[in-house]
Amino acid sequence: MKRKKCVAMLLAGGQGSRLGVLTSKIAKPAVPYGGKYRIIDFPLSNCANSGIDTVGVLTQYKPLELNDYIASGKTWDLDRMNGGVHILPPYQGQKGGDWYKGTANAIYQNLAFIERYNPEYVLVLSGDHIYKMDYSKMLKAHIDSGAACTISVLEVSLEEATRFGIMNVNDDDSIYEFEEKPKQPKSNLASMGIYIFTFEKLRKYLIEDNDNPNSSNDFGKDVIPLMLSSGEKMMVYRFNDYWKDVGTVESLWDANLDLLNPKIDLNLSDSNWKIYSKSMGLPPQYLSPTSKVENSLITDGCEIDGKVDYSILFENVTVEEGASVEYSLVMPNTVVKKGAHVQYAIIAENCTVGENAEVGADPAVVGNDGWGITVVGDSLTVGAGAIIGANNMITKDVKEGEKI
Amino acid sequence: MKAGNVSAIVFANTSDERMGDLTAVRSSASLPFGARYRLIDFALSNLVNAGISNVGVITKENYRSLMDHIGSGIYWDLDRKNGGLHILPPFNIRNAIKYSGYVDALNGAKNYILRSKSDYIVICDANVVANIELEAALEAHIENSADITLLWHKGNVPSNYSDTMVLKLDKEQRINELSFCEDGSAEQNHEFGFYIINTDVLINMIDLAYQNGLSDLKLAFFVDKVKKFRIFGFEHKGYLSVIDNEKSYYNANMDLLKADTRAFLFNKERPILTKTRDDMPTRYGTHAVVSNCAIGDGCIIDGTVKNSILFRGVKVEKGAVVENSIIMQSGVISKGANLNFAILDKNVTVGEDKVLCGTVDSALMIGKGKKL
Repeated sequence: MKRKKCVAMLLAGGQGSRLGVLTSKIAKPAVPYGGKYRIIDFPLSNCANSGIDTVGVLTQYKPLELNDYIASGKTWDLDRMNGGVHILPPYQGQKGGDWYKGTANAIYQNLAFIERYNPEYVLVLSGDHIYKMDYSKMLKAHIDSGAACTISVLEVSLEEATRFGIMNVNDDDSIYEFEEKPKQPKSNLASMGIYIFTFEKLRKYLIEDNDNPNSSNDFGKDVIPLMLSSGEKMMVYRFNDYWKDVGTVESLWDANLDLLNPKIDLNLSDSNWKIYSKSMGLPPQYLSPTSKVENSLITDGCEIDGKVDYSILFENVTVEEGASVEYSLVMPNTVVKKGAHVQYAIIAENCTVGENAEVGADPAVVGNDGWGITVVGDSLTVGAGAIIGANNMITKDVKEGEKI
Repeated sequence: MKAGNVSAIVFANTSDERMGDLTAVRSSASLPFGARYRLIDFALSNLVNAGISNVGVITKENYRSLMDHIGSGIYWDLDRKNGGLHILPPFNIRNAIKYSGYVDALNGAKNYILRSKSDYIVICDANVVANIELEAALEAHIENSADITLLWHKGNVPSNYSDTMVLKLDKEQRINELSFCEDGSAEQNHEFGFYIINTDVLINMIDLAYQNGLSDLKLAFFVDKVKKFRIFGFEHKGYLSVIDNEKSYYNANMDLLKADTRAFLFNKERPILTKTRDDMPTRYGTHAVVSNCAIGDGCIIDGTVKNSILFRGVKVEKGAVVENSIIMQSGVISKGANLNFAILDKNVTVGEDKVLCGTVDSALMIGKGKKL
């Protein structure tokens, strides 16, 4: 097989348990984002746009939706004769098999896949982040520096630094120490979970890590410290554009509403760097004479007769007359019935919000104490007249008139 | 029905001559329609939704934008090893650089028809906006042991009525009278260029017409042939519009603002498919006032838009007013501009405070790429 310069390995097996009911049936990378995308569209589109045409997607948790979504990779122009996108679930060999124990173990178990392409470099990505990035620039920096590993970092405030894996670096941006969620951070360079390894080094240290029975087989906790202590040259690559982890309900909500903020540069249809997504073959959106729409993103198949403000509506959403949706995300095929009010909420796919129901609450009205985004899980019905307050995670149907 | 048993021929240039500036740079098949489509999307989707996976598109001129739109057929699932999409430009014709009529064109496509090894051929025009129950029509064709089935619709006859056939049927739906329409003013049972023909009958008809020097398909195949062949009708109920001039183009677009038209056209079981553009969702700004509009993705709207169709990637700036208009892909309406009864072709930029006004009967047409 023709040799590839760089192969990408995308870690997409995580459950994303902090997203609660939103990932009860689907893996985190399959969570809808931005009206017509799923989180995994970002790393896959970035790969395609960066000229990386061979991507292994490591799945484990609830992969059905993700497998179906990725399919042949056609959506991202990754259906290639040589290379393309490959879904790599855990498998059994002659001596049995194992689930992926950690991020490093997932790659270790698929060394044979990488070896087929015999690449010089391996790009390791995760499926949890919203960002547009040219990996080819990072690869060039990696090659120019001659490092064994280059880690992409973002400057954060020292306060935020306590939540991230932090890289402590020398003047030449070489890493001398890695600290996971330090209480007293020495630097503000947070790891974005994007690594480029020189493949022969990666293979060496993955095998070494796998032979260590005390290792948790995680890149951040085990492999990176092992390489540092072995004296390998490790560099940071500084990234300055928009990047957001969408690991929690609040950060998912924030990252979506960032699309409405004119001060944030996150143009997803920039012809130089498009983010691709699977098209559903739906009719154009229709806004009726009774609709009132401001500050919002709305996509194909939506029918709007009500009020929409500061919200993101995904495909095929219906907002009936007299209903309102404010500061909310409404995911595909959901219907908001007449007179219903949805605010500060995330309504997942295929839900019905009944007539005159109320979902979520405004922090300015109920106060910040105990306030939070309310989430309604997929395929649920909120009965007519039901009232669901702030900071709720709804996992089953809500009866007519019920108060939660 | 067995896959491969039915193939289709689509005519892409049907109403080119009558469409004015709309077809100055393209075939009528690739004319943008309905905020995110091109006219041929309806024909291709109707065929694909009936399980047909072998489609030849006959085109004679101005077909670059058509090729660009349909490509390998991937968006209609027509990129197949067996069958799939075939573009059939002029080939095997008499002393001319392009087809002189449908019979000529079909003669050029004869090898394609024979190679398909299908028992039935669907012939259709790409200028019809409808969501057709073609699978049921094919079943009826076989059930009736018909030679030919004409799809028909009860309603106003298209504007070029003298080229449209009207028909009378018996109780079994067999057509017993088939003639060109002589009066376009009344509602009638008329065909709309959508036929199912047995392959052997079609090949014989092509050969006979070609030998006799007949170029008009309807004259050669259908008119006064009801005794010679078993010709049946299949009624298309629901929405239908034949796009054959600027007026019908404007009206059919505006029909999308009616709920029943959308319900007929955008049937979930039979989706209308089109090429994707990978635009973001449409963004509505703080000053957006939008009422009764069908809008594609990728627009940025911060002005007032009423009773209009906006295609993908249109920008309406703050303070601009657009009413009763059709704005094709990537149009820009600058602040303070005012549009009423206008059709803007692709990539038109309307400058600040510019006023463009057509009338109910005749929308003002602005050609592709103009900067005003």
